[in-house]
Amino acid sequence: MLELKNLDSGYDFLQVLWDVSLTVEKGEFVALIGPNGAGKSTTLRTVAGLVKPMGGDILFKGESIRNKPAHIISRMGISYVSEALNLFTDMSVRENLLLGAYAVKEKETQLETLDYIFELFPRLQERKDQLAGTMSGGERKMLAIARGMMSNPTLMLVDEPSLGLQPNLTYDVFSALLKLVKQGVTILLVEQNVNATLDITDRAYILEQGRIVMDGPSQEMKANQHVQNAYLGI
Amino acid sequence: MTTETPAATLTSVDLMTRIKDNLPVVVVSVFSVILFVLVGIEGGPPQLFNVIVTGGMWALLATGLALVFGVMNIPHFAHGESFMVGAYVSYFTFTPMNKFFLSTGSKFLIYSGPILAIIAAGLAGCVLGIIIERIIFAPLRHRTKEGWIMNAFLLTVGLSFILVNGTTLTLGPNFRGIPRYYDVPALEFMGAFIAVDRIVATAIAIVTIGSLWFFLRQTKTGRAIRAVSQDETGAQLVGIDLDFIQTLTFSLATGTAAISGASLLFMFQAYPTVGLTPLYFAWYVVMLVGLGNVAGAIFGGFIVALLQSATQLFIGLSWQSVVPTAVMILVLILAPSGIFGSEVKGIQEQ
Repeated sequence: MLELKNLDSGYDFLQVLWDVSLTVEKGEFVALIGPNGAGKSTTLRTVAGLVKPMGGDILFKGESIRNKPAHIISRMGISYVSEALNLFTDMSVRENLLLGAYAVKEKETQLETLDYIFELFPRLQERKDQLAGTMSGGERKMLAIARGMMSNPTLMLVDEPSLGLQPNLTYDVFSALLKLVKQGVTILLVEQNVNATLDITDRAYILEQGRIVMDGPSQEMKANQHVQNAYLGI
Repeated sequence: MTTETPAATLTSVDLMTRIKDNLPVVVVSVFSVILFVLVGIEGGPPQLFNVIVTGGMWALLATGLALVFGVMNIPHFAHGESFMVGAYVSYFTFTPMNKFFLSTGSKFLIYSGPILAIIAAGLAGCVLGIIIERIIFAPLRHRTKEGWIMNAFLLTVGLSFILVNGTTLTLGPNFRGIPRYYDVPALEFMGAFIAVDRIVATAIAIVTIGSLWFFLRQTKTGRAIRAVSQDETGAQLVGIDLDFIQTLTFSLATGTAAISGASLLFMFQAYPTVGLTPLYFAWYVVMLVGLGNVAGAIFGGFIVALLQSATQLFIGLSWQSVVPTAVMILVLILAPSGIFGSEVKGIQEQ
């Protein structure tokens, strides 16, 4: 479904990604892990169209999206839940969610998805009239993920959902993601919480200093010596 | 009963914190109401109506400024030229049209003439806005966002020069005006005579602001405009086309300014530098309430008009620009980000 071919990317004169190749098949739950500054977020931002690639190609459903602007990529079915969340802080939860379905033409489909989201995240329904900027960190993360789901995406790119969350909220966020995968949404997850991530994902790529150094099924990765030393602290 | 008491205290505490949080707004509101009553006692209904007419127009102009600044982060110093263009378009459509309508003798046509001229001015403004945005701001935005506010500011100043001097070159520096839109006697209202033109201008200001407000609050595209002003990246991520929204915003702002220029044609006339006074007052309004705050701009428009009227009435006509400026200095000292204290998003990122 998503294929990065020898992708080079970065900001102005600073190249961050070097020759990154990875694939995500339909229905898969894939993790991209690595240390701070390895280029994980840059990878997702490049796919989402917020950063222009310097070389290589990005294929989504067989079509190249490397030169497409971010809003077109979003409308094609790729939803990026950024680390900074990028919520509309002066709008209510409900308005944020409806904007998530901006590209959805039919009003009925929008409202159906909204109902479904409220079922999935009852917390958001309780706070639907609250301004997004006044919610707690965990609730805002939920809202960002929920907003990302409003467009009924086929691929979700989720950037560090556990960052700054207390453990039980992290658990909530992860189980929400698992639920999504069960419903057939494909997810590429960037995470620092390597242990939990390898437990829930199918496959994982390890990105170090802008290059993919290793990949394989998550369970195998967990047993790998390098991963254990560098990320799991065993 | 027992459950009601804590709830009641909670709301009163809530109210107190709300008042505390918005202290500048509350102080200004209370002060304005007192001033409004005083102006009403001293000047009577004509003065109050004057406040509403001018207030509506300042509000309309300031709304456009606030929108352009909030959504595109452009400090728009060519806004007065949109006003000027509106006045000219209205003059050049109204004069021949009125002559023709008068020759037909149809009352309906004669009465709808001014409205048609004002609508034409609004449409011309919208088109002008699209052209300006597409050929001036969009290319710059696509090239770099570094130093955007300064660059955009300089562009608008240059644009203002070009429009003013271009108009002087093609149409000459002469005043072109009409004595009135509606050639009917003034209406009597609570013992005062008020020209029909003023009533129409007020109605147009209210209808335009009202529809703009409805558009921003209740429609999908309006919501998208607000989304872009709050988080550009977030807006792109949900599939909003930034170029479209920014061109639309600029077009709306130019169009509303043109409408106010057109509906005030009988007061201001049309000449190349007619936009200066409205521009200053619109900027005064947005600085007073906080840049980029649309709701504040509406409120502020009326406060400024009230201040003008009160100065004229209690201190003297020659103090008309001294007092508002003094108030502005006071506001900048006490509440530097305006009385609504709104922060403009997107500026820090650039």
